[in-house]
Amino acid sequence: MTGLGRLLSIGPTDNTSRERTPRQPLQLIPEGARESFVPYSRVQPALLSAEADMTRLAADLPRAAGEAIEVSGQLTDEFGRPLRGVLLEIWNANTFGRYTHKEDASGLPLDPNFLGLGRVLTDQDGKYRFLTIRPGAYLARPDIGRWRPKHIHMSVRGGSSRLVTQMYFANDPHNDGDPMRILMGDAFKHNVAGEYDAGQPDLAAGYRFDIVVGGRNATFFENDL
Amino acid sequence: MNSITPNKRPATNEDTCGPYFPDPFCDADRMDLVEVHPGLVATARGTPIVIEGRLIDIDGNLGNGAVLEFWQPNDRGIYRTPAHADHPDIDPWFDGYARCRSKDGKFSLRTIKPGALADRAPNVTLTIFSDGISRLVTQIFLEGEAANASDPLLTSLPEPLRSRLIAKSTGANDRGEQVFSIDVVMAGNNETPFFDDLES
Repeated sequence: MTGLGRLLSIGPTDNTSRERTPRQPLQLIPEGARESFVPYSRVQPALLSAEADMTRLAADLPRAAGEAIEVSGQLTDEFGRPLRGVLLEIWNANTFGRYTHKEDASGLPLDPNFLGLGRVLTDQDGKYRFLTIRPGAYLARPDIGRWRPKHIHMSVRGGSSRLVTQMYFANDPHNDGDPMRILMGDAFKHNVAGEYDAGQPDLAAGYRFDIVVGGRNATFFENDL
Repeated sequence: MNSITPNKRPATNEDTCGPYFPDPFCDADRMDLVEVHPGLVATARGTPIVIEGRLIDIDGNLGNGAVLEFWQPNDRGIYRTPAHADHPDIDPWFDGYARCRSKDGKFSLRTIKPGALADRAPNVTLTIFSDGISRLVTQIFLEGEAANASDPLLTSLPEPLRSRLIAKSTGANDRGEQVFSIDVVMAGNNETPFFDDLES
């Protein structure tokens, strides 16, 4: 039979979390309905290699403002098996903390050389690599002076529905007060990238971010890639 | 959340997609699963219906800027998964997967009335990503289906909650397709039941 599952927590100082977080515990799914909750959609995008370099709009155009960084890592399931041919969709703010999204009304400066969108597929070993501009932090709650720490959004899509996550930077002074970080507790460390020397003079740093796809998200990643 | 064994890697945390999920990552055409392509006469098999909905927050406002994914079986109740690749009842023109980013919190899905197998009632799985939450999952049922009374998911809920998952019939559109309507209340009064697909 069924019962109650997790009670989701509300992120402190996060207005949208207050507005949108269910107050009732989640319901458990009875066995007979379990399979129906796992979407599947074949991903066959035709990517351009330039989409993995977010630091410029095209190869013959100038590099965006700020520090160019490399981000790389491996996608695996919880047993360490590589996830191949998985689509990563990446978006982050520019060096000033501004997104190119039309609904970002922050008033922070735009950078004409930065779009902030990238896509890359994992290779046969589940590995990926892309370049972007180190995002700026931005004042999420001007009324109480709360900043969002620097972060890079990633949506991971294999056969299944999306795993949406964020990569954070170690030692960002705004990490500790961030509502998302607070909700993760000690597990926050799994979303913090490890810094390395990218070995190229035009790259300020490299960040290793391994993504482990767990739970129901893993179901179809194991099957058909 | 997940139990950790020595040989098991801890899963990367899900996180909010924030308010600025890029529209170019969504395919605007993916909210009509009936027409295969605007330039082709091919259409999915079965009875076209429309499901309209609104996301509502705790203050009664529309939940703007959400990414929505829909997942359902075809008219004969078969999900388009690798496990069913050779199933005789697959519809080659229907894969049952739709998505959009809703700027205003409303959505309209044109699809095939889902079939249902075994003891399930026709349903559409809805996944919501938005600012303020990581991910919410539920299922939408259709008013007037006899199987609603015995569906294992619906009947697992306390009786007063069941109707919150049933989209109401609001008549037919210009094409003669039955239109259903549902409010998905993310928090507060008349909150929609959501499901725990990590711990179930």
